Amino acid sequence: MAERSFAKEVLKLEAGDGETVKGEGILAITKALLQSGVAYVGGYQGSPISHLMDVLNDAQDVLAELGVHFEATGSEATAAAMLSASINYPLRGAVTWKSTVGTNVASDALSNLASSGVVGGAMVIVGEDYGEGSSIMQERSYAFAMKAQMWLLDPRPNLTSIVDMVEKGFELSEASNTPIFYMMRIRGCHVTGEFTAKANRPPEYGKHNKVVPNREPEKIILPPNVYEHERIKIQDRWPAAVSFIHEHKLNEVFLGKHKQVGLITCGGSYNTLIRALERQGLADCYGNSDLPIYVLNVAYPLVPQEVAEFCRDKDQVLLFEEGQPEYIEQGLTTLLQRQGSTTRLFGKEILPRSGELTGQVTLLGLTRFLEGAVTQGLLPNLELLLSSTQIQAKADSLDPQDYDVLSLNVPPRPSGLCTGCPERPLFSAIKQVQQQLGPFHISSDIGCHSFATLEPFNLGNTIMGYGLSLASSSGIRDALPHKAISIMGDGGFWHNGLTSGVASAVFNNHDGLLIVINNGYSAATGGQDIPSLAKSGRLIASTIDSGQPHRSEHQSIEQACRGAGVKWIRTISTYDIDKMKATLVDALTTYQPGLKVIVAEGECMLNRQRRIKPIMNKAINTGKRTVRSRFYIDSETCTGDHACIRLSGCPSLTIKDNPDPLCIDPVSYVDNTCVGCGVCGENVHSAVLCPSFSKIDLLYNPHGWDRFIATARAKIINMLSPARTELPL
Amino acid sequence: MTNSTPHTINIVAAALGGEGGGVFTNWIIDVAALNNWVCQTTSLAGVAQRTGATIYYIELIQNSGSESKPVMSLFPAQGDIDVVVTTEIAEAGRMMQRGFVSKDRTSVITSTHRVYGITEKIDLTDGTIDSQAILQIAQKYAKSLLSYDMASIASEHNSVISAVLFGALAGSDALPFPKTSYTQVIEQTGKSISTNLAAFEASYQTAKSHGVGHYSPTNSKEDRAAVKFQLPDTATQRGQPLLEQIRRLPEPAHHLAYLGTQRLIEYQDIRYATQYLNRLSEIAQLDVGDDTFDLTTDVARYLALWMSFEDIPRVAQQKIRTHRENSIREEVQAENGQIITVAEYFSPQLEEVCGMLPRRLGAWVLSYPINKIMAFFMGGRKLKTNTVSIFAVLRILASLRHIRRGSLGYHLEHKQIDNWLTAIIEYAPTNLEVAQELAKCGRMIKGYSHTRRRTTAQLASIISATSAETSALQISEWRTAALANDEDSQIVH
Repeated sequence: MAERSFAKEVLKLEAGDGETVKGEGILAITKALLQSGVAYVGGYQGSPISHLMDVLNDAQDVLAELGVHFEATGSEATAAAMLSASINYPLRGAVTWKSTVGTNVASDALSNLASSGVVGGAMVIVGEDYGEGSSIMQERSYAFAMKAQMWLLDPRPNLTSIVDMVEKGFELSEASNTPIFYMMRIRGCHVTGEFTAKANRPPEYGKHNKVVPNREPEKIILPPNVYEHERIKIQDRWPAAVSFIHEHKLNEVFLGKHKQVGLITCGGSYNTLIRALERQGLADCYGNSDLPIYVLNVAYPLVPQEVAEFCRDKDQVLLFEEGQPEYIEQGLTTLLQRQGSTTRLFGKEILPRSGELTGQVTLLGLTRFLEGAVTQGLLPNLELLLSSTQIQAKADSLDPQDYDVLSLNVPPRPSGLCTGCPERPLFSAIKQVQQQLGPFHISSDIGCHSFATLEPFNLGNTIMGYGLSLASSSGIRDALPHKAISIMGDGGFWHNGLTSGVASAVFNNHDGLLIVINNGYSAATGGQDIPSLAKSGRLIASTIDSGQPHRSEHQSIEQACRGAGVKWIRTISTYDIDKMKATLVDALTTYQPGLKVIVAEGECMLNRQRRIKPIMNKAINTGKRTVRSRFYIDSETCTGDHACIRLSGCPSLTIKDNPDPLCIDPVSYVDNTCVGCGVCGENVHSAVLCPSFSKIDLLYNPHGWDRFIATARAKIINMLSPARTELPL
Repeated sequence: MTNSTPHTINIVAAALGGEGGGVFTNWIIDVAALNNWVCQTTSLAGVAQRTGATIYYIELIQNSGSESKPVMSLFPAQGDIDVVVTTEIAEAGRMMQRGFVSKDRTSVITSTHRVYGITEKIDLTDGTIDSQAILQIAQKYAKSLLSYDMASIASEHNSVISAVLFGALAGSDALPFPKTSYTQVIEQTGKSISTNLAAFEASYQTAKSHGVGHYSPTNSKEDRAAVKFQLPDTATQRGQPLLEQIRRLPEPAHHLAYLGTQRLIEYQDIRYATQYLNRLSEIAQLDVGDDTFDLTTDVARYLALWMSFEDIPRVAQQKIRTHRENSIREEVQAENGQIITVAEYFSPQLEEVCGMLPRRLGAWVLSYPINKIMAFFMGGRKLKTNTVSIFAVLRILASLRHIRRGSLGYHLEHKQIDNWLTAIIEYAPTNLEVAQELAKCGRMIKGYSHTRRRTTAQLASIISATSAETSALQISEWRTAALANDEDSQIVH
């Protein structure tokens, strides 16, 4: 079960004609898909579209009622391949993933899909994970659209436009027989607002109305078909798309009184541009602008006649394009040059070549452009409210001295493992083994465990992609002084790691160690279910929805590895640090050749708490004898060295002022968010820390016997206690 | 374009993962709706998820009633923010770093409590930041500043910080909405209504009584240390000579020497405390030419701590203190009369056990293969201190302090203490600064087992590397290097 439940929100998906729906961007997209009559949906979770998968997952009743097929696919490649349903049949379908990482994984299928072409509308909703809040390397999805000749939609970030463009996108896809990218930026995914709904449209074909198998051999991507596909893309599909976009006004032009200059922006950056104009007194908050604006809701392909029309009477035009390379600028330059236009196009020579178009960046770029135009006499009566120098000053508003004080006193807050996380004891163990056998080179992977590369663990050297850690050990392993170590999550294992990692490593006699962290979920993306979903009665206990009928039986990581030929495999609870250390040492020193796999098990604590808390509260409230544990640090024995924190980094293990005025350094302290996972105690023993830690069991609804024993103990201990002596001072 | 058109009110809410920033944002959406305002929010859910810092961005505008819809930004921009709300004081600092606080329009509402960052927590000594410095800068750059400890209000009312922030926002009058619309929203939420309302109300009243812009500078981190101390009159006849001896020390050292004396009487006996004061007086006589008397105060502090080194009787003594159970109950928030069990994690090492043996015997055991057999009995133990048998054992172990003076551990510790004091005494007459720096190295001595062996060895290496040519700065650099991380690296080259 995912971290966030949309059970309440999905009810909004049933809204009928004319009803107002309020919610987030992703909810609007889901509703738009249903209004467009999709026959199938799928995807792979990852920020910023994790919630889209969660909404779909929670909306299964609505989907089933309409006859829409849904799959939480094994990877983005699986999702992309789903779209092949639209090649031979008029089935509309949509898939979603995090981009560009997901698009990288899906590229093979996408290229072939784009080559074959579609008859049913096919849409890939890419969550463009770019700029602040991103968790991946900074690239653009735009390149994929260009290379495969898929069209890229980038709508204005308000819910009405978002919904509208999904519907128009399907039409465009069908009109040009081309699959579409629908790009959502991080903030757009989470933007709130409202739109007027239409009734949902059940798909024409599906479970209830099967298609007649239809073979179109010319669509298969074998030569010589592929040469013909390329010709069709350019000669048929492209012109069809361009005329559809133009006729249906997918792009928008907003007129303004200063006709000598113009602004071109992608839909996604439109709101930021309006705010910049507003701050210069050139627009109002309803988007009425003094400067003409051409909004590219379709970022690819460009529409030559629209560009020519917009630029016709303009001396200078500024393009707001986010990220690099400046594909749109290059495209526009080519168009203008071919058209013999004299309009001067500005873009990245004024705006930064890399990074997000934030409010500040957009305002500064706009201002620089306008100041230039004013200087050249293009806008004689224009008065700007802010100069570029003043705008620059807003970003550097602090005195140097105050800036320095803040630099020293605002601590960084890197992401870390949650309170009670089962991965923490694993990394404590690795850190301790490293002290014994190290230093280590570790190939890390994508997932919560990538935070182990940060403080306080500092474990891990490279991250090459989801499920690719073992593969990325292969080149370096002979050159390492120790057996190569790769760490992978269960999510990465099923996504890719089993084949490109385990199978390949066994095949190549890889004599190294793979640690697969099995926490039962795709935890980093929001706790979604995965094939090795935790099963009841096992170490990783059951999840609430594991009983749902659409879930397949538990697929075991250990059996999958054995099936791939792994001989040495151990499954260990991460919370048993001593045993984990011994097993790690064993794996790293054994003479037995071949791949060694440790499945490190422990249920994701966020999910576990969500599961356990209601049960525990119920037990306490209904009078059942219940024990709740948490840890405690004796601040009198703690010497304030914080070695325990350096081995843990648990959010609930923190510090507080030293109660002893003789001591300066703060003491370690366990706050009330502690879930009693026991790692502190394990570390005390395995790393021989200090005698300050204790586990406190709080007993609720004690039995008579509990009370009797407690009272008796207290009495005797009281008698044994040293008499309180007054100090002579 | 005319400037008479309405503008949005822009709010940045900075929070840490799991603090309820999303709930807070949704409440504002609902308050806006009740007042017929349009509200747009965005967030960066990806980063907040796992303990990092994140921001929520909110724009509000009055509903014009016309067909045209407002176009609101998804990005907070420098110089364009009306209200900054932060759940923690360092985050207010971050918002200023990012340029979201401008003197001409930004009201800053922040809790003053601290949630320590990982870099603060992992420091070998004290890595905490100075939150007063941030508050002072906020006062300088904000149009108005409203700051108080919202975490304690939340815990007082068994509520969450988002409810307290909500009350602060309402009480700050930064938004044009009546109080009733805020309380109505909390009531609509349908969850923890009474506790949230109570926290909201308490915070609202605090905000109101402080008034927007109220700020009273309290002591900074440095100032707090300099609390005036008055030596009390002696409680008993036996304490008289000790007090006399403390009184003869330079005045800045009185407080620490007094605390140190108390500590050592409790640790051992009056004789031991006298031993401490004798050593300290010896140092104090050499502490001339610097009216801060740093040398005496530092030795007063670190000598007392070192002399009360944590051996087995000491730890046992601390575990059986009568006030201990109450401190535990309070900290873990046990209910009145609730039964609790305390399981201690001990991992006594051979060295520590031998440390309690008489000097020669202990050394013999440590140096012979017999320790292999002894080691079998060492290692991790989980002991329930509130069971009779374990308590009794600890009681006996605590009483071993009476034979402490003859033990191997005592002998070894005091040899090292002597080594440290001798070095200080050697350099104090000729180079007071070097002596001061050596005294400050007393801070390094802490931790247990491995940590303790490392820090003592590092101090010893600094002492032996110090010569007449060594500068005070050099010693300070060695100390910084030793306290930079917990690797057994060579700090003196």
